[in-house]
Amino acid sequence: MENLGIDIKLLIAQLINFGIFFFIIAKFVAKPFTKFLNEERNKDEEKVNLLDKLKRSEEVAVESEKKMREKVKKELDIIFAQSKKEAQEMKGELVKQAESDAQDIRDKSKKLLEEEKNILYREVKDKIVKTSLIIVEKALKESLDESSRKQVTNFIIKNYQGSTKVYEN
Amino acid sequence: MKINPKLKDDLKRFLMDKIQEERSIVTVYSASLLSEDDKKNLTNKFRGLDWGKARFEIDKSVIAGVIIKIGSRTIDLSLLGSLSKLTNTLYEID
Repeated sequence: MENLGIDIKLLIAQLINFGIFFFIIAKFVAKPFTKFLNEERNKDEEKVNLLDKLKRSEEVAVESEKKMREKVKKELDIIFAQSKKEAQEMKGELVKQAESDAQDIRDKSKKLLEEEKNILYREVKDKIVKTSLIIVEKALKESLDESSRKQVTNFIIKNYQGSTKVYEN
Repeated sequence: MKINPKLKDDLKRFLMDKIQEERSIVTVYSASLLSEDDKKNLTNKFRGLDWGKARFEIDKSVIAGVIIKIGSRTIDLSLLGSLSKLTNTLYEID
């Protein structure tokens, strides 16, 4: 061995050194590093899982949102249809009410007009009658002289048949 | 103050007689003086009236004819009355 240039002692020392080095590396470097790597890998896997989960839940959320939108749209359509129907009914009732009110107003106006017409008619009639009476009275007073009055009086008394009303004061 | 009952009765009787007398008094209103012929005709037409105390008065508003008043009763035979009746008839016509 010595002829080959190999120093047994140095080799043993180097082997011991290597053993110690290996032990130290294996004990304090390789193990934590492996652990760290495993942990990192696990974390990555968890992240991927989480991402998958998130993706799935997002898909579910999108789906449910879509369904919800459809449902809301359907409900809105129903509400809109109902509102339209109610509005139509309300419009019909309002129109009917307005027509009835208009008819009432027309009737009242007609009645009022009729009453005013009657009042006017009575007033005109009253004036005509009074004026006519004044004219006739004046004409009679002016046209009948003393002898005519006497003649008329005589005629009235002679022709009295007893049918004149008796007035009580 | 107490009133003598006899005096009270006398007064009451007097007033009643007066009222009765007033009730039967005939007053004739005409536009001009009535002739004897008219008065006679009136007496004949209204025999039930007390013509003895009848009063004849002139009222130009009567126009012609007569208005006879007996107490509170009135018999209207005048042109004024006829006009009044005509007015009422005109008011009754629609």
